[in-house]
Amino acid sequence: MEIAKGQRLPLSALITDGPASDFQVGLQISGMGAAVDFACFGLDAQQKLSDERYMIFYNQAKSPCGGIELSAPAGDNAGFLCRLDRLPASIDHLVFTAAVDGSALMRQLQSGYLRFLAAGREHARFAFTGADFQDEKALMLGDIYRKDGTWRFSASGQGFNGGLAALVKHFGGEVADEAPSSASPTSKLSLEKKIAATAPKLVDLAKKVSVSLEKHRLTETIARVGLVLDASGSMYAQYDKGKVQEVIERLLPLAVHFDDDGELDVWAFSQRVLALPAATMGNYSDYIKEADYGWRNWGMMSTNNEPAVIENVIQQYRESVLPVLVIFISDGGVSKNKEIQRLLTDAARLPIFWQFVGIGGRNYGVLEKLDTMTDRLVDNCGFFALDDLHSVSEQALYDRLLSEFPLWLKEARQKGILR
Amino acid sequence: MGISLNKGGNISLSKTDPSLKNVIVGLGWDARPTDGADFDLDASAFMVKEDGKVRSDSDFIFYNQTKSVCGSVEHTGDNRTGAGDGDDESLIVLLDKVPTDIQRVIFTVTIHDADARKQNFGQVSHAYVRILNKDSGNEVARYDLSEDASIETAMIFGEIYRHSGEWKFRAVGQGYSGGLAALARQHGINI
Repeated sequence: MEIAKGQRLPLSALITDGPASDFQVGLQISGMGAAVDFACFGLDAQQKLSDERYMIFYNQAKSPCGGIELSAPAGDNAGFLCRLDRLPASIDHLVFTAAVDGSALMRQLQSGYLRFLAAGREHARFAFTGADFQDEKALMLGDIYRKDGTWRFSASGQGFNGGLAALVKHFGGEVADEAPSSASPTSKLSLEKKIAATAPKLVDLAKKVSVSLEKHRLTETIARVGLVLDASGSMYAQYDKGKVQEVIERLLPLAVHFDDDGELDVWAFSQRVLALPAATMGNYSDYIKEADYGWRNWGMMSTNNEPAVIENVIQQYRESVLPVLVIFISDGGVSKNKEIQRLLTDAARLPIFWQFVGIGGRNYGVLEKLDTMTDRLVDNCGFFALDDLHSVSEQALYDRLLSEFPLWLKEARQKGILR
Repeated sequence: MGISLNKGGNISLSKTDPSLKNVIVGLGWDARPTDGADFDLDASAFMVKEDGKVRSDSDFIFYNQTKSVCGSVEHTGDNRTGAGDGDDESLIVLLDKVPTDIQRVIFTVTIHDADARKQNFGQVSHAYVRILNKDSGNEVARYDLSEDASIETAMIFGEIYRHSGEWKFRAVGQGYSGGLAALARQHGINI
């Protein structure tokens, strides 16, 4: 059967033989001249995305309940397997969306459809053309929703000129205001594609980064990412066993996502400071062993001199027009507390956020206290400690690394530290 | 909160609220949250005889003719976007003043310029009609149309009608695809 734009009807009228709870939705948009990203949002009764695990797209292919799963029927751009009986009662709507990137507008599409398949055949189709739309860059094509104990379908066909960002906002997400407005959402969403092409080993990590970024509403943020590695003597075993190399591998997808140039700026410090060549998808795999003749030749492994490296990082980023996330790895033994505190208090007026990560050590001194001290223009420091970098899952690590950065971004914008 | 009706349901206004003399018919819908042309929805009323037709064009109350000659039906103004809380448009009906040859007052909502804007009721959310007692402010009855409104561009939301010497209200929820013009012709208006 043909479904007209705006039509509302029970699913049981669409899928007449067999249960109307198990079916596949197929989505197709042709002649757009631009990549189209499809997604399914599982929303609550207020039509908000209260559980981000219910944004189903190529980076998150399945809901935890298994009720929605990415799966394209033969011949379609995209699609979803729906098993409505598996959905928790809190999910009231499944909204199927399409978004385009760049200068493409939905009225330029030639033809498209949303169709229902069950038991191996097509049951119903909502067909549309560019004439049905205007300047939208993101569309809600259809909505499957609960009403008085039954599931219904509405061929909504409405959208937003602001694209995916506006759509996510409509569903209750907060999208951080852009620093440079040239950024496009899809260039961010294509992180996985970018990594798959150049560093396939990191794809799995890239997926986890994307989930954390979605969660913390950071998918549209562009930032520079710097990594400061403690290379004092007590870190010897961590370098020797390849643990620091794993830090690089875990953090690179984050940098690739955020960074304007896709590079992770790296410093090592002990008594002195060494600015290393940036880690990239091209050189990451043996970075610690190879960069600047390898870690054994860096002249490190003595005492830890944090102020020197902090000053060096400040010099590098003080004029940055983009926000900067510095991830600072330390195994503790911090003694130059007054100096560190003075430097970081001064640095609160700069576009730099310092995320300190304590690893396997103790006596983090002022690094720990800066997280909660309030005598600065803005709170520009975060801190958390782990027994071992590997004591938490990658997902948990990304979540923790990204938890305070968005708060700083907001405050720094309000105070005019960031443009 | 008044009695909630489903499509086709009716209640006796006189029995439900014996003090009801002056009625506010409130009509509402949500403004679109999406981009594109706004939905401009217009409420109108047709005062019709036993045969379902108006006596003359002056029995058609709409944004360009906001009050009936007899003064019993009055349109209180147009809201262009549906923004704001509460009813988007309302009409006042003074039951005792409705001429005796008028059998029913039909309340409709139409989407302005629907064809050009490619809009229909399927894209309008939370449409409703409710009957309030103008003097007490109490809601007497309410009908939520959302699921009954779909690909149409004009809809009869409800009607107030005479029945055995009392006034009743019916939740109609009947849609038409030809906009206000089709509705007007159906009720005997010459356009």
